[in-house]
Amino acid sequence: MAAVQETIDQVRQIDVDQYKYGFETVIEVDKAPKGLSEDIIRFISAKKQEPEWMLEWRLDAYRRWLTMEEPTWARVEYPKIDFNDLYYYAAPKSTAGPKSLEEVDPELLRVYEKLGIPLREQEILAGVETPRVAVDAVFDSVSVVTTFKKELQKAGVIFMSISEAIREHPDLIKKYLGSVVPTSDNFYATLNAAVFTDGSFVFVPKGVRCPMELSTYFRINEKNTGQFERTLIIAEEGAYVSYLEGCTAPQRDENQLHAAVVELIALDDAEIKYSTVQNWYPGDAQGKGGIYNFVTKRGDCRGARSKISWTQVETGSAITWKYPSCILRGDDSRGEFYSIAVSNGYQQIDSGTKMIHLGKNTSSRIISKGISAGNSNNTYRGQVSINRRASNARNFTNCDSLLIGDQCGAHTVPYIDVKNASAQIEHEATTSKISEDQKFYVMQRGIPEEEAIALIVNGFVKDVIQQLPMEFAVEAQKLIGISLEGSVG
Amino acid sequence: MNMQTTSRLTAAETALVEAFGAQIGELPGNGAVIGTRDRLLDELKKAGLPTRRIEAWHYTDLKNLLRSVPDVTLVSAIDAIAPLVEGSKVLSILQGTADAKAAVDGIDIALFKDRLADGSAAAGLTALDKDDAIGRINGSFVRDGYAITVPANTELEAPIELQALHAAGQVHTRFPVSFGAASKATIIERHRSVTEDAALVSSISDITLEDGADITWIILQTQGAADTHLGQIRVQLGTDAKLRLFVINAGGKLVRQELRIDVAGEGAELTLRGVNLLGAESHTDVTLVLGHNVPNTNSTEIIRNVVFDRANGVFQGMIRVAPDAQKTDAKMSCNTLLLTDDGGFSAKPELEIFADDVVCGHGATVADIESSHLFYLMARGVPENKARAMLVNAFVAEIVEELEEEKLVEALEGVISAWLEKHA
Repeated sequence: MAAVQETIDQVRQIDVDQYKYGFETVIEVDKAPKGLSEDIIRFISAKKQEPEWMLEWRLDAYRRWLTMEEPTWARVEYPKIDFNDLYYYAAPKSTAGPKSLEEVDPELLRVYEKLGIPLREQEILAGVETPRVAVDAVFDSVSVVTTFKKELQKAGVIFMSISEAIREHPDLIKKYLGSVVPTSDNFYATLNAAVFTDGSFVFVPKGVRCPMELSTYFRINEKNTGQFERTLIIAEEGAYVSYLEGCTAPQRDENQLHAAVVELIALDDAEIKYSTVQNWYPGDAQGKGGIYNFVTKRGDCRGARSKISWTQVETGSAITWKYPSCILRGDDSRGEFYSIAVSNGYQQIDSGTKMIHLGKNTSSRIISKGISAGNSNNTYRGQVSINRRASNARNFTNCDSLLIGDQCGAHTVPYIDVKNASAQIEHEATTSKISEDQKFYVMQRGIPEEEAIALIVNGFVKDVIQQLPMEFAVEAQKLIGISLEGSVG
Repeated sequence: MNMQTTSRLTAAETALVEAFGAQIGELPGNGAVIGTRDRLLDELKKAGLPTRRIEAWHYTDLKNLLRSVPDVTLVSAIDAIAPLVEGSKVLSILQGTADAKAAVDGIDIALFKDRLADGSAAAGLTALDKDDAIGRINGSFVRDGYAITVPANTELEAPIELQALHAAGQVHTRFPVSFGAASKATIIERHRSVTEDAALVSSISDITLEDGADITWIILQTQGAADTHLGQIRVQLGTDAKLRLFVINAGGKLVRQELRIDVAGEGAELTLRGVNLLGAESHTDVTLVLGHNVPNTNSTEIIRNVVFDRANGVFQGMIRVAPDAQKTDAKMSCNTLLLTDDGGFSAKPELEIFADDVVCGHGATVADIESSHLFYLMARGVPENKARAMLVNAFVAEIVEELEEEKLVEALEGVISAWLEKHA
């Protein structure tokens, strides 16, 4: 398998705790003063030239947030976050709505070049083999550029930053924003509703199959800055869209906060495929620094026969708190969750999904693969709930954990609630280490230990990797190799 | 963070506090025991009964479900009944009072109230953790029970039946039982009502297996349809100890059975089997916390549930593997036949693993009777209702049959069939 060799090579080039994307870019920024208050929210809203109703929406969320308590049920430990010691808005200067790439700060473009994110359409077009991907690049608090907008427009697809969408498509925003994750949903989602600064907006109209993959690339650059992005994807009747999300941040000693909200809405016969490769800075080998990733992602299969599929590869972040969920409201709708969560060093992952079956003949499938190494803790937490009226619901859940080393932990916490007799629910979970037999089998064919482990691990996660779009699958395999570096031996 | 600040007590909480006040003068116990009781009640008063916000009680919101608490009734004319298995030695606890004359050859039996009076029971009365509501209630109110010691190398031919019968009111019992090294015994712990009046029963069995002990412990809970049963089984397994623990729930309105098992000796083996027959408007919760705390231990857990009517069932099963507990082999499965749209079942099988060289797994299923199985029987001329009954029976009988002792299997199958005939 070529990819495995590639992974190994990649691993060799990198020291134990070297994070490839850890560089910082010196760029002139516009920042709001530190701290959180109604004034800061007014400042953000004004910066974004938002209409009055949007500001009210934010302030309402903020007032609710003040009354809420930080959740403590997840298996993660971290010092208390001082929400007043953060910058809630940081934007590269001179990016106030660049019309074309030429107007974008060249320093910024170099960042994305370094990250390997194609922003120049002609460059993307020049590459014959790679399929085209439209990209929305979010840098700290703002969207810097969105590619292929025009071409997408021809197909009727709206792909732009959410700030633009609030100005240009207020009706759609009013109708859908907060309709899946209400402002009062949970502590972090409410905070996000108050202070979100940017994110992507996708609208695929009735009957349209989005002609290319859409992608958003998130980058946190500034110090002490929280990133709060908000993504809203709507697929109307019969529409289809595949969306990819990637993220990185510089290496820093202090922790940084990332609290995003993603809402997906699929109407009758629509399908949304959402893939994430999460590679925020995980902290160093001693557990210093790294991103706190507190994310609320939820899809609403609102229409009949609609389908939402989440695929995630989680290798970064010091703390991950993330449960991409599906509300299966429409009859015959389907939800899927495929996840690989790799933790090493002192990373803590508490992630999983919720499948809420409300409609008739709904089905869901959960495949979760957790790999823990080093001193990390990796928890799968999931819920499958079958409503009283959700007849003929089906669920299959499989969550496997793999432990590498004896200092790490792997945990499984599934909640299964069934209130309808016609439901068929199957759940299975296993935890094991790479067996000596497997390793011996591979090694005695002349493959070195590190490569043997990578090979077995890649086999372990194959079911999930297969769900990723091609270009992401390769990247994900590499990432897993890098994350596990130093755990062998 | 999980501290509950309850400013107002519910009716049931108030009743418990008042019952304590009314009894305090006559509850058995020396100074140390009374001190512990006071502290436990104080904790209960402060924390209140647990709500769904407490993770361990997520599916059994005791504050909401336990609406009222019956008065304490001490005297009641109840006679012991025939044992489940013919030839068993019966140790009866009638309306919460143990039999002072009870004796079994070769084992040491003491009344728990004497242990309370001399203070030797004080240390064991404490709650296991901050959410241990059953430990608190039982520790505050317990009056009697049996403290049993089976000497090392003793093999008991006949089963011992702990026969707990009650009419109504409140009954709080405790059974500390210690099995000496290489001893062998079968214990049947039976909780049963003799009237249909509401009763609140709390019972804690504190079981210790010394090295190499080989024990079968069966809990058969067939209380009345208005009863609350709060049971807790604390188990500690020594080196090479073997425990077969069977828990059968076929009664009660509000039932919580907690199994807290500490596998503390290398080579120890636990076989846990559960059958829960749920009907009417009952709520039954079986919560297992199983710690594999040393290397080279095995466990298997199989729980089968059948849900009828408006009943709700819960199984929470946590397997915890400690950092040094390498070579742990733990397998848990929970299967449920949900035969009604008016009831429900919730399962939360948890794994918490800190050692890498282990094989652990769990499986959970919830479904109706397989239509192909039904078809198979009906195609052979078995009418539908009968076919369904056969399949349900087979689903749970399979578990009981693992006990192998013929008389015991027959007796338990009899209980199950009778229950199913009444409810299905």
